[in-house]
Amino acid sequence: MDSEKIEKKYTPEIPAKEIEELRNSIKTASEKIIAENIERMKKADPKRPEAMKYFDEISNLFGQRQREILAEKQKGKKVIGYMCLFAPIELIMAADAIPVRVNSGWYDTSKIGDRVVPVEVCPVIRSTIGAKMIGLSPFLELSDALISVLTCDGMTKLSEILSDYKTIWPMNVPRVKDATHSLRFWDDEIVQMKQQIEEFTGNKITRKRLKQAIEQTQRATRVFRRLQDLRKGNPVITGRDAMLVNQAYLWDDKVRWTEKAEALCDELEKRAQRKEWVCPPDTPRVLVTGTPMYWPDNWKLPTLVEEANPKGIIVADELCSGERILNDPVGVDEWTMDDMLSAIGERYLMASTCACFTSSDGNEDRINWLVNKVKEWNVQGVIYYVIRGCMLYAMEYSRVKKALDKINTPVYYLDTEYTREDVGQLKTRVEAFLEMLTARVDL
Amino acid sequence: MKEPSSVKDELEFWRWREYHRIVSGKKWTSKDVITAGVDVGSVGSKAAIMVNGEAYSWSVARTGSNSPDSASKVLSLALEETGLKVSDLKYIVGTGYGRVNVPMANKAITEIACHAKGANYIWGPSVRTVLDVGGQDIKAIRTDETGRVVSFLMNDKCAAGTGRGMEVFADLLQIPIEEIGEISLKVDEEPPPVSCTCVAFAKTEAMGLLRKGWSKENVLAAYTRAMAIRMANLINRVGLERELVITGGQSKNIGIVTRIEVVLGVKCLPMPNWRDDGLDPMVAGAFGAALLGKALYEKAQK
Amino acid sequence: MITVGMDLGTQRVKAVVLIDDAVVSRAQAFSGFDPAKAAEEAVGEALKKVKLKISDVAYFVATGSAMEMAPYADSTVSMMSADAKAGVYLFPKARTIIDVGAEEARAVKCDEKALMVDFVVNERCAAGAGAFIEAMARALEVKLEEMGPLSLKAERASQINASCVIFGESDVVSLIHRQESKPEIARAVFDAMADRISSMVHRLGVKPDVVLIGGVAKDVGFVAALKRKLGIDVLVPDFPDFAGALGAALTAATRAKERRK
Repeated sequence: MDSEKIEKKYTPEIPAKEIEELRNSIKTASEKIIAENIERMKKADPKRPEAMKYFDEISNLFGQRQREILAEKQKGKKVIGYMCLFAPIELIMAADAIPVRVNSGWYDTSKIGDRVVPVEVCPVIRSTIGAKMIGLSPFLELSDALISVLTCDGMTKLSEILSDYKTIWPMNVPRVKDATHSLRFWDDEIVQMKQQIEEFTGNKITRKRLKQAIEQTQRATRVFRRLQDLRKGNPVITGRDAMLVNQAYLWDDKVRWTEKAEALCDELEKRAQRKEWVCPPDTPRVLVTGTPMYWPDNWKLPTLVEEANPKGIIVADELCSGERILNDPVGVDEWTMDDMLSAIGERYLMASTCACFTSSDGNEDRINWLVNKVKEWNVQGVIYYVIRGCMLYAMEYSRVKKALDKINTPVYYLDTEYTREDVGQLKTRVEAFLEMLTARVDL
Repeated sequence: MKEPSSVKDELEFWRWREYHRIVSGKKWTSKDVITAGVDVGSVGSKAAIMVNGEAYSWSVARTGSNSPDSASKVLSLALEETGLKVSDLKYIVGTGYGRVNVPMANKAITEIACHAKGANYIWGPSVRTVLDVGGQDIKAIRTDETGRVVSFLMNDKCAAGTGRGMEVFADLLQIPIEEIGEISLKVDEEPPPVSCTCVAFAKTEAMGLLRKGWSKENVLAAYTRAMAIRMANLINRVGLERELVITGGQSKNIGIVTRIEVVLGVKCLPMPNWRDDGLDPMVAGAFGAALLGKALYEKAQK
Repeated sequence: MITVGMDLGTQRVKAVVLIDDAVVSRAQAFSGFDPAKAAEEAVGEALKKVKLKISDVAYFVATGSAMEMAPYADSTVSMMSADAKAGVYLFPKARTIIDVGAEEARAVKCDEKALMVDFVVNERCAAGAGAFIEAMARALEVKLEEMGPLSLKAERASQINASCVIFGESDVVSLIHRQESKPEIARAVFDAMADRISSMVHRLGVKPDVVLIGGVAKDVGFVAALKRKLGIDVLVPDFPDFAGALGAALTAATRAKERRK
């Protein structure tokens, strides 16, 4: 798509010089933040597993992975970006294309997005728009096409705005999950997507290739779950480290990620055997749930929690930027094309705990997930994290609070924005919450 | 006491009195467990000295930018004429916005936990809901009978109704801050609350009303009512359970207290007679800090 | 022809006297609680300086947030239009005019005839206007007029909360406690403001030449920060706080001529 010739529907013309200056300055600042985050994570765990070194490398969004994808592109492979966990990446992999998630975790670009949409709009969306305007995001830039899933208002219009720059394939998510016709509709979307990907890449998605792709993600899922299981006991890995490993799956090479994560799990198991805890076992165990938290700037909250006085440790989360990435495998009965596509449809729609749905049981899947995590991961307190402007998660708070009150688990509503300015205020609230949890432990 | 610096305005309506109190008839010996709490707020600093968990002396001073050692200053003030030195204090807890800057503290604890404990000390175990309105914060805290925090909520996004907000208004209307509560009640009929509570635009809002012919008392009443409603909403969101108490600087604003009681339909526990011999609710955080310090000290001794 | 423009701002009333398109005098008075009275004072003083009386004036135009209260006014004009008129009068190539006052900031896009083409206003956030600098100066215990020169001494800026005057104040206090230098804090104040103002201007689209007016334009610290954030040169006239009144006086001249026809 030649975006220079087509007149943009939404975004203003910006002089090339300004674009370059902004991109360079924000990129430099971001590389600094990434390095700083990693330094702090290293300091937090003096006996940090060797396997984390790989993930530290991969965490640099502007580094190795960007170069790899570019090299693959030059060999003729297509890159298909996606903005939401509903995108069926097995189809992308089966077409010999590279899937990569492209959500924006840069605070600074949200200000540039302000030139196009008002400040009331979700900061994640504004940040994505801003990142595109200055060509900051390596993966967004490398994408030949984008799958956008219309989950919320912000995503819906973002899809339109990005169509100024990229080929966009919107996917309609039925807001009512538990209905036969919804699943039928969604299955149609999956079939549509398969055809689109085949046409675009020029590669047929054969039964064999799809089976391989599904088996690969099944393997990754097993390792992913193994990692989360290792966080059930006394802490052998910091929340920040685990969250980085989890999120890296979104842009890393899937086969290699699986290997490296497996190696990490092996090390963590040994740590558990040696009782080498990353912090005292009575450190308050926290779960974070809510709006997605994208690397790198959004490590703001996890850093506050794990460096607070008193300290806390994040042992689990319910985030689409975290544990929801790979919690559920694609469950295939028979390896026929129909059955595989149906299994993909089911897995991507039914397993989702996103707040975008509406149902008379009040997102029971999410409630069950949370309650289960609290019990099995021995969670002492929940931070309900909302980025201001995120209606869906903000509104589900009352539902979640009632459910957690029933199981006597304290929950704190913490809202913030794509800014560093409120760190001082957040610190007081986080510390007060952790103090509260500590006092309960003493009881 | 501190002299006003030359860069400040001549007539300072926002200035409340700094002071130091020693509880009459109290003595200390070296065998007593003497602990201190230092609460460095964004606007006011408070220090409390407790002997065996009972209030002995306390002080209140302004946190200034010309004295980065507000903590040392307010603690020295509390120690004046007691015969005590800092080294006699067995444990010191720092709290408040500037708690990381209490160099002599053994530990830093958030003001949420300290106000909960302090309220429990001042009013007793029947307290279950504490509203603390500080310089730039409003906190609604649910406690148990021992003064432990059960849950809490803080103001987000907006500083309207905080101490600084009231100071700005007092200055604007040229009414001494210590009279602002009483004067707000000197109205025949309660006017409707102001719609815009933003401190930054308070002047425009107030001027608009004064131009319409409103008296200063009415403007103050309208503003105070809007603030009280905000605070009552926060209390309702955290869940109101009796008894309710108010700590922090605004506890002395009878205009706020009365209106919160009206909106919630609940009476707060009465204010101690802090001007005479009673405990000062503005110092609740420092009392709580000193008590938590005592508990930590005794735990360490075992 | 003699015309007078009055700008009734939230803090001060400014008056400008024009004789045949040339500024001959200006004066101001504090608005306090009675902007009308302040306007009378300012106008009286401005006319006295050039030995003129009220009856000598052909046309009065008022602008500013309290313009409805202006005495003598034959008509009013929006602050945006007044800004455009003044901007192009002072700098003929001006096409984007940024006006930062005590409680409000706005940006106006105009054509070469000083006709307003588009505008954007920031009245929601006090950290995008002069009140913020004043509050921060108080918190820093520095004279308002010293804030600018102080900030220029800094190489870098501290981090402060600029979403609210109150939170910003307490950030300043804690920065002092953390021994950060006053120049760096002062610079942070201007950087935060310039950030917000430039975001607002970008919504309009920046078209050179860019002119800065309003009371805050007198502050060297802010001007430096804005130039940095916008990455473009910003022209500041002498007496930038009188630009609104100037624009009103120019409007008065145009309207007086039309009335004669």
